[in-house]
Amino acid sequence: MTQKILILNLTRMGDLIQTTPLVQGLRQKYPDAQITLMVSSDFENAISLIPGIDDSIVFNLRQFKESEDWEDESWVKIYRYIESKLNDIRGKSYDMLVNLSHSRFSALMVHYLKVNNVIGFHCNNSGDRMTGHPWMQYFGTEPFNRSFNEFNLVEIFSRSAGIDPTGKEIQVTENRYPVSEDKFLATVLNEAKNDLVIGFQIGSSLENRRWSTASFARLADLLVEQLNARIFLFGVASESESAEEMIRKTNRKNNIVDLTGKTDLKQLAVLLKRCAYLVTNDTGTMHLAAALNTKIIGLFFAHAHPFETAPFSSGHLIFQARISCAPCSYGVHCNNIICVEKVLPEHVLSFIENYEQHNNWKLPYDLKKSQEVNIYETILSSQGIVRLKPLIKHEININDIFRLAYAVLWRETLDEELKTDKDYIQENLEEYTYYNSQLLIDIFSDKNSFLEEIERLAIGGIELCERIVKNASKTQPASIKLTKFGEDIDRIDEQIELIGMANPELKLLTDMFKKRKENQIGSDIEKLGIECKGYYKLLEKESRRFRVILSVHKEIILKLSGYNTHNSIKVCVPGR
Amino acid sequence: MDFFDNNIKLLQNHDPSLANRVKGIKIPENVKITFSKEGPPVPQITGVSLHSLYHPQKEGQQVIRNFQFQDDSRTVVFGLGFGYHILPLVQKGEVTVIEPLMTIFRAFMSSVDLSPFLPRVRFRIGETPASLLARYEPLNWNIFRHVPSVRIGESYYQQLEKGVETRKILSNKSLRILVVKPIYGGSLPTANYCIEGLRNLGHEVESVDCDKFVDGFFELKDITKIKGNAEILSQKFIGLMDEVVAAKAAEYRPDFILALAQAPLSPEAINRLKELKIPIAFWFVEDFRTLTYWKEVSNSYDHFFTIQKDNFHLELMSKGVNDCYYLPQAAHPKIHRPIDLSSEQNKQYKADISFMGAAYHNRVQSFPRLLGHDFKIWGTGWNLESPLGKRLQNKNKRVATEETVKIYNAGKINLNLHSSTFHYGINPEGDFVNPRTFEIAACKGFQLLDHRSDLINLFNVDEELIAFHSLDELKDQIEYFLKNPDLRSVIASRSYTRVLNEHTIEHRMQEMLLHVFMNRLDLLKRIEHSRPDPLAYCISKAGKDTELGQYLKSFKGVNKFSLKTLTNDIHNGKGDLDDNETLLMMLDQLIEEKA
Repeated sequence: MTQKILILNLTRMGDLIQTTPLVQGLRQKYPDAQITLMVSSDFENAISLIPGIDDSIVFNLRQFKESEDWEDESWVKIYRYIESKLNDIRGKSYDMLVNLSHSRFSALMVHYLKVNNVIGFHCNNSGDRMTGHPWMQYFGTEPFNRSFNEFNLVEIFSRSAGIDPTGKEIQVTENRYPVSEDKFLATVLNEAKNDLVIGFQIGSSLENRRWSTASFARLADLLVEQLNARIFLFGVASESESAEEMIRKTNRKNNIVDLTGKTDLKQLAVLLKRCAYLVTNDTGTMHLAAALNTKIIGLFFAHAHPFETAPFSSGHLIFQARISCAPCSYGVHCNNIICVEKVLPEHVLSFIENYEQHNNWKLPYDLKKSQEVNIYETILSSQGIVRLKPLIKHEININDIFRLAYAVLWRETLDEELKTDKDYIQENLEEYTYYNSQLLIDIFSDKNSFLEEIERLAIGGIELCERIVKNASKTQPASIKLTKFGEDIDRIDEQIELIGMANPELKLLTDMFKKRKENQIGSDIEKLGIECKGYYKLLEKESRRFRVILSVHKEIILKLSGYNTHNSIKVCVPGR
Repeated sequence: MDFFDNNIKLLQNHDPSLANRVKGIKIPENVKITFSKEGPPVPQITGVSLHSLYHPQKEGQQVIRNFQFQDDSRTVVFGLGFGYHILPLVQKGEVTVIEPLMTIFRAFMSSVDLSPFLPRVRFRIGETPASLLARYEPLNWNIFRHVPSVRIGESYYQQLEKGVETRKILSNKSLRILVVKPIYGGSLPTANYCIEGLRNLGHEVESVDCDKFVDGFFELKDITKIKGNAEILSQKFIGLMDEVVAAKAAEYRPDFILALAQAPLSPEAINRLKELKIPIAFWFVEDFRTLTYWKEVSNSYDHFFTIQKDNFHLELMSKGVNDCYYLPQAAHPKIHRPIDLSSEQNKQYKADISFMGAAYHNRVQSFPRLLGHDFKIWGTGWNLESPLGKRLQNKNKRVATEETVKIYNAGKINLNLHSSTFHYGINPEGDFVNPRTFEIAACKGFQLLDHRSDLINLFNVDEELIAFHSLDELKDQIEYFLKNPDLRSVIASRSYTRVLNEHTIEHRMQEMLLHVFMNRLDLLKRIEHSRPDPLAYCISKAGKDTELGQYLKSFKGVNKFSLKTLTNDIHNGKGDLDDNETLLMMLDQLIEEKA
């Protein structure tokens, strides 16, 4: 029975908040366990916000001055600090370690700690980073196939720790901050006593993920003029300059309270709670506010992708440009951030006005036909999992279909088989329009044939692996034969990879296969052959199942598009 | 009785080079020989007796009474005199005797029977302190000082003492050295060998890779035919290279700068580099008579190293050069080495006579005489239509170093005729020894080379190398050695051993550093203390007896130690990561993330 669990999260505040459904699940699964959370010293204050934590460990590398050149000889003292800290942890004999940091540093740390039951990234004995659980393998391939990902990181991490995210949302512990004893806070709150308070988080870790200060300023003016709102500007000290710039651009300076750099985490939580809405870029403040049940209007630009990092709780609004390059691909540096221009202050104002009036995110009439923006509401799906529901009915594209179909596939295959029924698929597909579906149907059959090709290759791989196992199990294996088999396997893998490269819609499938193979370790050829056979079998199974799932989608799309065609004047005219 | 002729015969067997050198010395007038009361002769210089005029042998016994032998060091005697203090030491083991004055040695050879000294005594006569320490006596020294001799040769022995201290510091301290490479040309490989040699000695080396600008350099030459404009462009280019070197030096903060022949450094740039207050040296690995640009730059450098001496040094000194020092070429055994050739390679490169080099006038004139043999030629500039051109194996294309090594390994006789632009065959005044001499020897190749006056200082001619003085002699030698493969092999092995022991690029670089820093001990000590050795510092921080400290100790002698040294070692290693290694990899990741 698991008694002591260590959760390692050395990333940022937002990631910490996103850990909460997982902690909640671990607590339910192991009610008597002692759960310890390890964080970096930058987010030491956030520990008290995480429910279900019994103990904490703070990893403080900040104590080593920035000015010190770590590459010179002064590394010895940092080495000694890490060594002593980790030896202390090792001495506590944890039964389970959950690593939610994806850095190689954390994976090596896990290796050092030598805990038997590890969930998340870790290293093998040679120091190579290993992913372990299938959902972590998915996490390793997802950044390169972002358009086809439907899963929030919260769901990925929870599932990789064996926690079902159904019915779970991010949460924080009740804030017992003594507001009356804090003069500054009391004054700010008192001045806003009867106002509609709307928070703005105008910064974000990366500059090109930020909505412009001019847009925030225009929105502030509109909110003050239309709703007589009071605006709280949040952010760390380094964001004060942007805040000042934004304020300079507004006409309603008196209604704006610049709180950048003036609050600690606990004060921030009090003030966020006071806000009716938070208009924010993709930030840790967004996750904290969502966990405090403040309504979020999340603005996702550049690399920020709502399917990965939208608040994992229902009732929030998300904007993202619907242009071919959004979100930016992994590793890309965009020098022409046009996506930020697709979201207008007037859009945000209309939604807030509607919410004030109807208490829900009613789509404003003038946005119904907007082609260049995705607007989502975070909802609890009929499966009980937080998901993004599009509020504008866009014409479906091939990426949308594959994203939805992959979601069905991975939920079924990556851990406990979660079957998705046809009604659920239809429910999702009904969120789109189908005026040009004939083109999609053609693509379906094209991709279907490539999936069949993958299956054929996988079967070839299975046969080869069987031969390898048979040969390797002999008392005197023929090394020439084994070498030949190895080369044949390489050829098959290359062809599988090529199909993925040539068909971006199938790359996630082939990447998953590749990722599994990367995790193979050891030198026992027989054992490796057996493992490898398992991977080909899995690929064949997934590909076959994916074809079935896609055919269900196709069937529903045909039905939905028939309805649309019937109501349109789009008739195919020969020769036109 | 004059022992000279007998002694020369004896010495010829043990140290033919020295025997040849002393043969040319006349009986010195400044050394007066008197006979002691006991009988044996005693030398006197400027009225000072080097031994007791009563009992020189007894005195010799007495002065060494307190001398302690050490197992891990070579016994080195400062001062020869007439050897009365040396004989008692010889009873206990091998001894090296260092004497700056060849005149003393000449008098000794006439006055004293050499047989009790040999074979246990090695005489080092008239060698520079740096070459002794780097080239000839590289081990630790346990010194016995013969006081009267040391008094006579005071300044020499002081230098030698400084050299010993310098060598000790250099063996424990990595210097930061900046090597300025030429844009192109024959000295470029030498520059690369210098870099590797210095690194092998444990120093940190950065280079200014002027050769990477070679395309630009030649492009500029083609821009215009108007001489004045071409000259301006050329000056601008050199000016740019000056800035490149200055920028690199300003960032790297070297302890020493070495520029190789044809490095594009103007006197103005050298003067600017002097602001760093570090020694700046030039190694002119060229024939000073053929390339004369040294006249413009030589007196800007603090040290001017040359492969020729005597006349060249006289000219340099007349131009006001601060310090010139003879440093011959060498081999780089990492590149120049014996290799096993495949049968195909053997077929391709094997020949009775091989020659690898450019078509200089003297070669074009003299090689046709060898066309009756199985004679293969590689190199550039040959007339393909000529009879010699028919023997050319590479169609005048550049021959890569690796291929050169194969040629030297495969040839039965490697012909090595030093280049001349105007001699018919052999340059009778040829002095310096070309790199090919050392390189063929390092490949264990057999060579016949034209006689050079410097050879005598570097090899035992006739034992380790065979030199010819005329083309007729060459033809005779070819005939003879083609018939005597075993002898070829014996001679090649001897020259190979000699090169590895004394003539590698590491020997040269060590000699250069010793020469430069033995008169800058204060600077060297400042460097030693201002910038602690990173490995020693890390070991002291980690605690030398801790697990980490022990682990770090295994990296002693590694060049340019840093955390990366450790992580690269881990990456290249095999087996499972242990705790130390895991922690080091974590640190490496932290640094990467910070970057």
